[in-house]
Amino acid sequence: MSRDLLPTLRERIRRIERPAAAVHGVLPFGVAAIDRALPGGGLARGAVHEFAGMGGDEEDGALTAGFAAGILVRLGSHPNSPPRAGEGTGGGIVLWCLPRPDLYGPGLAALGLDPARLVLVQARRDAEILWAVEEGLRSAGVAAVVGELGIFPTVASRRLQLAAGRSGVTAFVLRRWRDGAQAARERGLPNAAATRWRIAAQPSVPVRAEPGIGRPRWRVELLRCRGGEPACWEMEVADATGSLSLVATLADRPNGPFREDAVLPQKFRRAG
Amino acid sequence: MPSCRKNSAALAEEAPFATVIEAAGRRLLAAVNPAASAAGLAPGMPLADALSFLPGLATAAAEPAEDRAALRRLAEWCGRYSPWMAPDGADGVRVEITGSAHLWGGEAALTADLMSRLDRQGIASRIAIADTLGAAWALARFAQTGERIVIQPPGDARDGLAGLPVEALRLDPATVQGLRRVGLKQVGDLYAMPRPALVRRFGEAVARRLDQALDDLPEPLSPLGETPVRRVRLSFAEPIADPADLALAAERLAKDLVLRLAREGMGARRLDLAFHRIDGQVERIVLGTARPSRDPHHLAALLKERLDTVDPGLGVEDMILAAFAVEPLPPEQIGFAGSPGTGTMAGTASLLDRLGNRLGLDALYRLEPCESHIPERASVHIAFPLPSRAGGEGRVRGAVSRRDPGPRSPAALASAKPPRPIRLFEPPEPVEAFWLLPDDPPFRFTWRRRPHRVMRADGPERIAEEWWRSEGSGAVDAIRDYYRVEDEEGRRFWLFRAGLSDGSQPPHWFIHGIFA
Repeated sequence: MSRDLLPTLRERIRRIERPAAAVHGVLPFGVAAIDRALPGGGLARGAVHEFAGMGGDEEDGALTAGFAAGILVRLGSHPNSPPRAGEGTGGGIVLWCLPRPDLYGPGLAALGLDPARLVLVQARRDAEILWAVEEGLRSAGVAAVVGELGIFPTVASRRLQLAAGRSGVTAFVLRRWRDGAQAARERGLPNAAATRWRIAAQPSVPVRAEPGIGRPRWRVELLRCRGGEPACWEMEVADATGSLSLVATLADRPNGPFREDAVLPQKFRRAG
Repeated sequence: MPSCRKNSAALAEEAPFATVIEAAGRRLLAAVNPAASAAGLAPGMPLADALSFLPGLATAAAEPAEDRAALRRLAEWCGRYSPWMAPDGADGVRVEITGSAHLWGGEAALTADLMSRLDRQGIASRIAIADTLGAAWALARFAQTGERIVIQPPGDARDGLAGLPVEALRLDPATVQGLRRVGLKQVGDLYAMPRPALVRRFGEAVARRLDQALDDLPEPLSPLGETPVRRVRLSFAEPIADPADLALAAERLAKDLVLRLAREGMGARRLDLAFHRIDGQVERIVLGTARPSRDPHHLAALLKERLDTVDPGLGVEDMILAAFAVEPLPPEQIGFAGSPGTGTMAGTASLLDRLGNRLGLDALYRLEPCESHIPERASVHIAFPLPSRAGGEGRVRGAVSRRDPGPRSPAALASAKPPRPIRLFEPPEPVEAFWLLPDDPPFRFTWRRRPHRVMRADGPERIAEEWWRSEGSGAVDAIRDYYRVEDEEGRRFWLFRAGLSDGSQPPHWFIHGIFA
């Protein structure tokens, strides 16, 4: 009896600690090492997740968009939103709110995300984008909302988190700073996002016996996670599917089983 | 029956006053007030003559454009009586009240209401109701009864107009003079004249105007703006200005409109809510919806969202909600959670409506793949509303004619094409690049004042202008060589060299996109 009680209590505490993940379920990455680091085994649905770039990408937001696209591909296969006829790969529309019309359809398709699923909303000011994201989070029939934001105040992030928790719609906030000064100012400010990530480009490793560029490599850092620990991985992106895979720590090592200590040592950290 | 009103540009009662307009180098009186009129002044008189009559005449420059705008506003305000209204000439408004007079308790009650409201706004007016536009025009301007309201009983046009001067027929001054010269001074004098002789002598305008006035020839009224398909009105005993009251009224109107739409199986695509203020101004909210809608909550929410843009001034006395575009919307159970599909689709549509009405419908678009190897044409922005029906209503942004892309899966598209960036800059941004050999990618480039060292590169991929397009041919970047380059950080850029490197001109480098 008492042996049964303990797991039950643990489960109850878990629910209290992470109501969003418990209510709306999670979205697994499909990469065991990452899923292990996240409470519930994946990104919580019905929550706000923040992705920021690094270096020059803080302004351009290419890697963050790619990372979000890779996640949105997998978001479609949710039991609550099965594919419907005439709606592409299913899962309802994805509302993508952005300040500049520079998101490129063929680039998304290359990552496996059907651009037909997207509804793009263009607004110049951060306040308008925040409003659009919140409207999206409040409505049925939306699979996820993506917002590209420069300024993301704590109060606004809490509002989004509440709206997402209520509706179960997942929000991805891509930080896109106007310039280096704004990036330096905003980067460290706290907000209420359930997880905060930083994606940085890494020099690619050329495929053997082929000149030119290899597969894109990202360093994915989990900076903050409610109910989890910060962590860092190095990933390789497979084109055309958008699926991420963990790479072995050493570049010249053949593809083998990934190691438990895939978390990179500090020397990989790069300034700015 | 049209009603015609004449508003003279009368201002203060006491002192003689006139507005002056310059015409052909002379200064003429444009309008006079009653005091000036009593002293013998009339519009069209040279200012010098007028001043010799009345040295103390106060004048001001006439503003015909302002007058026209004011008349237009007045005509719009008259939309509270009927949607069929238009400014008439420089000093009148015509309103088609057939079928709407009974809503006001008859023609007499309507004119009394109109007159009292105009008086309150300080607009001197004469109102006439008659069978035809021509007759109403004539009576409003030339009736000698001394009454300010003339209502001609139906079928009475012939006798009613007989005693009026021929000017009442809306003829040009030369024709009027010609008629007067041969002794045809009154409209009644023309009745007996043989038509062919009249036309031969004075032109067909006389016969046409006479027929129009006597209802022998139809004269359509082209209303100001569009005529709504369905319209509901709410009048208040006391003017309201409180936002909460306005919101309540908007809700009621939406409900009323929906009832009528539901009866006909229609849904609204475009709505216009007009607020008639007591000072004669009209404020408007214009809405569009992505799908035909007759959900009262949805429509009311859309209207309320925009209420803060409305300035109620001293108060609003009428609100008119009009549906301009309606489309068949089969009866359905709205808002039943169990109905498959429709629930979320309706939810999405209402979300898009809210976004579009706040940020502008231009702000919403979809990415549509397009068969073109020119990067900026391979994906076009299709603006909402969703082209759900055959043919599609989507506007294509930019000078792109869309050819049928055909159904292709994203995976097929991806595998068939070389890698494409996730962000594309339109237009491409120039970069400062350094390279060694003519066909080499740059080894170093500066973009947005940030230097990048190229560590690895793929390419070139040559993309030439589509030769069948006339526009853009001969441009510098008619032929582009694209390179995918990676800098020391590992970021990947899509650079291209514009123009052939034949040595005659140094090539220019541009950045077109960034890869994820």
